[in-house]
Amino acid sequence: MLLSRTAPALALVIACAASPSRADERSARRLFVSDHAAPVVSAMDAATGEKLGSFDLKSPAGLYTSDSGRTVFAVQRDGNVVSAISTGISVDDHGDHGDIEVEAPKLLDADVTGKKPVHFVDHHGEIALFFDDEGIARIVSEKAVLDGRPSAREIRTASPHHGVAIAFGSHTLMTEPHPEKPVEELPVGINVLDSSGARVGDLHECPDLHGEATSGNITAIACAKGLLIAKSDKNSPRIDFLAYPDSLPEGKSTTLAGGRGLQYFLGNFGPSAVVLIDPEAEDAFRLIELPARRVHFAVDPVRPKFAYVFTEDGRLHQVDVLAGTIAQSLSLTEPYSMDGHWSDPRPRIAVGGDSIFVTDPLKSTIHVVDAASFAKARDIPVDGKPFNIVAVGGSGETH
Amino acid sequence: MNRKFRIAALLGAATLMSATALPASAAELKVVASFSIIGDFAQNVGGDRIELTTLVGPDGDAHVYEPKPADAVAMAGADVVLVNGLQFEGFLQRLVDASATKASIVELAKGVETIKMQEEHHEGEEEASEEAHHHHGDIDPHAFQSVPNAEIYVKNIADAFCAADAGGCQTYQANAMAYTAKLKALDEEVKAAVASIPADKRTIITSHDAFGYFAHQYGVAFLAPEGISTEAEASAADVAALIRQVRDDKASAIFVENVTNPRLVEQIAAETGLKVGGTLFSDALSDESGPASTYIDMMRSNIATIRGAILGS
Repeated sequence: MLLSRTAPALALVIACAASPSRADERSARRLFVSDHAAPVVSAMDAATGEKLGSFDLKSPAGLYTSDSGRTVFAVQRDGNVVSAISTGISVDDHGDHGDIEVEAPKLLDADVTGKKPVHFVDHHGEIALFFDDEGIARIVSEKAVLDGRPSAREIRTASPHHGVAIAFGSHTLMTEPHPEKPVEELPVGINVLDSSGARVGDLHECPDLHGEATSGNITAIACAKGLLIAKSDKNSPRIDFLAYPDSLPEGKSTTLAGGRGLQYFLGNFGPSAVVLIDPEAEDAFRLIELPARRVHFAVDPVRPKFAYVFTEDGRLHQVDVLAGTIAQSLSLTEPYSMDGHWSDPRPRIAVGGDSIFVTDPLKSTIHVVDAASFAKARDIPVDGKPFNIVAVGGSGETH
Repeated sequence: MNRKFRIAALLGAATLMSATALPASAAELKVVASFSIIGDFAQNVGGDRIELTTLVGPDGDAHVYEPKPADAVAMAGADVVLVNGLQFEGFLQRLVDASATKASIVELAKGVETIKMQEEHHEGEEEASEEAHHHHGDIDPHAFQSVPNAEIYVKNIADAFCAADAGGCQTYQANAMAYTAKLKALDEEVKAAVASIPADKRTIITSHDAFGYFAHQYGVAFLAPEGISTEAEASAADVAALIRQVRDDKASAIFVENVTNPRLVEQIAAETGLKVGGTLFSDALSDESGPASTYIDMMRSNIATIRGAILGS
């Protein structure tokens, strides 16, 4: 079902947010922020904080950007819909330079509906959305979404479950629900499906499956005792199991982020640590203890050497991915205890251009940290409780 | 995965003799080579005076390589970083940025007479749009596929090592001279092998455009469905055009490459009845158990495979 909605603020957006630095070169960066309680996404200029648009949703949303940065997906688990917003910024790589096109952000007529969408995975422009209460993955291409014709390809599993799907070239990686308690328990493994939906090979066992990410040529999927590592191979994806070594303490990753620029993964590991994972290194796992319980983490797509972790004591930590240590820490907010419900409003991190953005939902603020100096640069005041945040944009030439 | 080749066991006797003249306590020059062929050159020139880390190892594809944190650590600690240049290593700038390396980045193709990648316009294709012309990096980066170019690479390596480690310069120069003598012999060997193939049989098919310099130097024509990078996928029109050329008896043999997925070549072979003539080593050496674990063995293996497939030996 397609829903049409109005976004009154959009009509007010006249000028694009591009800032020319040379006659034929422009840069533009935007933030998209969802509210913890209200069904709305705000778009703003990352440099000035100027509001560029406000998009009404069915329920509060988790936000995800496509790898291209051209689309933001608002996953509304309680609204039973995934909405797509054109970021208005398009950067095409031409090898030795990029071309940039900038226009106003807009809500696309491209909703994908279904019961309780949760996991979103973009793999090379193919967006796999998993709807837990149906046990169905709906896969759409970003191009079709941007063109306003998001005909979703559906893949059904045996029962509703908290699953995930990954469009992997001509194949799909799809969770296998727990055989006895599919709704209550996490999936037990991954099936490789061909383009007809037929399973290729055996089930790749992965008890307590939760968390996946792609970095470089590798997709990692977190399990109870290690990771499934998926790569392209001659005819179908190759999947190997990488066990957690005995040197790691008791624990597991349930959320993974994939490095950009360097091929690695950053995962949670217990409440007060993160783990750096290089699946192809002899010493694949490097644990980094945190000074307090972890709230959120993100990799830096611009400076591949760094990733960031926010802890409940209100500090943002800069992780040196090469050294495997916390390089610097910065106090940003009042403490945000991890006691209470997992979905309580707490800070989230996004990285774009020269800045790191951290939402402070209880102070209606987005803190901006200069990535080079790792010092607080400024605050952006926002309405409500800014929660999930994504940053898009880039620079390039205009022709 | 990083692979370190630290001992000079693979080196020829002449190289060993000059290398072992060094004091055992000679400080090691930390060298990073971007991929296996350059690693082999570096080891031949550096001998046991260098500690070598090769980023893209045997059978690895530098076009699509994704650097790891450990690669950046190696770069950060390097004295000299040896790369091909000509935009061959798409991952290089990311590693330089991530590692903040102070090492000199030495482009070994410097001084090579470059050639452009083949521009082909196949029958049946739409006229190329303005956008299609908007591409970059048209220089073929695979200069090492010509042995005289390899000699330039080796000279550049010796110069770089001398600049970074003046105390070892004599050794590096002697090693380079000994290795270059072997390359000159190799060049003659390849020329003789090509000369034994009838001139009208010297058109063959591989996966991607990796052999332009080989073609230019030795007079064997290569057709390839993929472009200069393995990352660029072949269009249906390109594949159809190649199949027509094979059917018109314009190609004598077809080969897979060690760094590319063989599926496309196998498809062309199946549709044309041309038997796959073996594996050519294009952008990487084989591992030590393979037939091309050194550059010299790689060139010998390639020409023997080509010659064997065409002449049916």
